[in-house]
Amino acid sequence: MVTILGGLLLLSVGAGFVGSISGLGGGVFIVPTLVVVSHLPIQVAIAASLISVVATSAGASVAFVRDGWTNLRVAMVLECATVTGAITGAYLTGVVPPRVLELLFAAIMLQSAYFSLRKPGDDILPRSDPLAERLNLSGDLPGDGIQPVIPYGVVNVPGGAALMLVAGLMSGLLGIGSGALKVMAMDYVMHLPLKVSSATSNFMIGVTAGAGALVFLFRGDVSTVIAGPVALGVTAGALAGSRVLPYANVRALRIVFVAIMILIAIEMGWRAMSGL
Amino acid sequence: MAPAPEVQLIQDAETRLLRAWTPAILRAVLVAAVTVVTVGLVESTFGSPGYFVTRFHELQRGIQLRQPKDFGTLVGDALLGNGRSIMTLGLMLLTLVPIVRVTFTLLVFLFEKDYPYVAMTAYVLAALILGAALGRIG
Repeated sequence: MVTILGGLLLLSVGAGFVGSISGLGGGVFIVPTLVVVSHLPIQVAIAASLISVVATSAGASVAFVRDGWTNLRVAMVLECATVTGAITGAYLTGVVPPRVLELLFAAIMLQSAYFSLRKPGDDILPRSDPLAERLNLSGDLPGDGIQPVIPYGVVNVPGGAALMLVAGLMSGLLGIGSGALKVMAMDYVMHLPLKVSSATSNFMIGVTAGAGALVFLFRGDVSTVIAGPVALGVTAGALAGSRVLPYANVRALRIVFVAIMILIAIEMGWRAMSGL
Repeated sequence: MAPAPEVQLIQDAETRLLRAWTPAILRAVLVAAVTVVTVGLVESTFGSPGYFVTRFHELQRGIQLRQPKDFGTLVGDALLGNGRSIMTLGLMLLTLVPIVRVTFTLLVFLFEKDYPYVAMTAYVLAALILGAALGRIG
């Protein structure tokens, strides 16, 4: 009893911590951990992970929203796409065979690894395009008294929304926040500044994961025995990660994270293929 | 084309309201949910340690989940001190975080008569509720 519960809590704290430091969120680490280390079926892991993702998103968003990094209007517009995808994905999880889920998970891990190594699109556009202007999506990078407030524009809302639909689908299907896809959509396609993209993605993840979690919860597919400790562990780990983050050498750690992600992709891919 | 000055003013007021209250709402629901889940976990750890181990091994063997309790029974059991029911209620409370946040955003947009955003927020809220309903049916 103590071993199982302690182990679950420890693994969840670890996943939340790594997810927070790497900026990828706890979901991409807790799902494979529960499958590979705890030998739980992937659907059980996905349901538990989705609920923990809601908690970490809420915890991490508090400071970002308060300090003005989160673009609340962009979040609201794009959430229309992510919830649609998330509900569809969560509904499909009950139908799609586990090995297809494992294979998809492997692909998403590789995408996340690529995301961690890519160069950010750091161009700030001075003006929004007509649609973004009509929706008043432009924002300001908060100043800090020394640095002035910098206005930024937003472009290509339909392109961003299309990618968000995919991000939502993956979130509901695989129990992850899909932060890597969301940030890429906002950073590359909509040309939002990187930190605004990260903060807005983090904020949106709560609604995306919440939509999926509600489907699982009301279907009775959430195992309380697993989801309870996982939610607490991941939240505590993410909190610890955000405290350590300012002092961590993220550049050096990135190589370790990428190696972990590639290993997870191989493991999940192998499980899927060997089961075929 | 930039929005008219009066539109800009309304939207600034919205942003200020959302920025001031959203973090407080997120934090309040999160703290409440985490507290309830913790109480439930402690209670079920000491109350019925055997169940935890049995259920964990059942799940490992792929034995499907049991029939979910209806909400009334769940609350009744939680009030009687059933740790698992308390934990389930805590997890439900956690999934309320996005619903409460989106409802608040909808009220702000309604208050400011920002109708395009009222429509989008209402869609997101409806989708969240539909998600729960779909879960119940499916």
